[in-house]
Amino acid sequence: MKSVITTVVASADAAGRFPSSSDLESVQGSIQRSTARLEAAEKLAANLDAVAKEAYDACIKKYPYLNESGQANSNDTFKAKCHRDIKHYLRLVNYSLVVGGTGPLDEWGIAGQREVYRTLGLPTAPYVEALSFARNRGCTPRDMSAQALTEYNALLDYVINSLS
Amino acid sequence: MLDAFSRAVVSADSKTAAIGGSELEALRGFISSGNRRLDAVNSIASNASCMVSDAVAGMICENQGLIQAGGNCYPNRRMAACLRDAEIVLRYVTYALLAGDASVLDDRCLNGLKETYTALGVPLQSSARAVAIMKAQATAHIQDNPSEALAGAKLRKMGTPVVEDRCASLVAEAGSYFDRVIGALS
Repeated sequence: MKSVITTVVASADAAGRFPSSSDLESVQGSIQRSTARLEAAEKLAANLDAVAKEAYDACIKKYPYLNESGQANSNDTFKAKCHRDIKHYLRLVNYSLVVGGTGPLDEWGIAGQREVYRTLGLPTAPYVEALSFARNRGCTPRDMSAQALTEYNALLDYVINSLS
Repeated sequence: MLDAFSRAVVSADSKTAAIGGSELEALRGFISSGNRRLDAVNSIASNASCMVSDAVAGMICENQGLIQAGGNCYPNRRMAACLRDAEIVLRYVTYALLAGDASVLDDRCLNGLKETYTALGVPLQSSARAVAIMKAQATAHIQDNPSEALAGAKLRKMGTPVVEDRCASLVAEAGSYFDRVIGALS
């Protein structure tokens, strides 16, 4: 899993040397910036269900056709699955906030995403709408500090871009 | 390869739970003691060649047979291989200490090490002894608490700020990585 520390260790290992002072400085830089990320991760973890619920409702509102028979919001099984998927993305955002890179999103969310959605015939537009709603819903200082919100929004943008 | 953060992510993912509460507290502890950890890594990295040669010399002092004809540190070619291996082990322990997780040490150094040494006829007990000496050295460097009584005329202070507990948790963590190496060799 890629993070600043593992990247530093991997490059030091490739060169066969002990961690140099510039290696240690880059680790220190990432450690100093991590307070905001962990704050965002904590707030998101505490409210994950509520954020996912709001995001889901927003995309159903924007795309009423999802209420039709056979569509995402037509029965409880489908609803639960779509809700789960949005929670899944938010959980990966939470992980990426902790790690300080997009590793978890890349490895567990985005890799193969396009193929899966195409095979299952799922539309990506509602996901984009749901995550965009979450992206624009965050508010500082009500939800988290400005720095934390920047980190959180950047990761949501990253997911949205991967879907669109 | 994992570090303290990605280890938390991997274990949370196995429960499909978001990371919050106590796990985040542990990571905050990692961050707040981050500079201490970097100092500890630096103290090992900048004394590495001295630690390695002392550890191998100590191992040989206790078992002179190693440098006599037929011993595993005789001739120079094999002595050089021994010094190189001790440095490699110390380097991976340093990586593990920097990452706060043993996975890099396990995957890239210890996996298959015992089998290789057995096949090459390297004495495992002597190797483990050299690692144990490096453990004691690393403890001393991280604690950075030299005394007149032990060091005498060679007393030398690294000049890091003194903290009350002498980085006890980092000493224990570094010790656990050395113990892992010793465990893998026995």
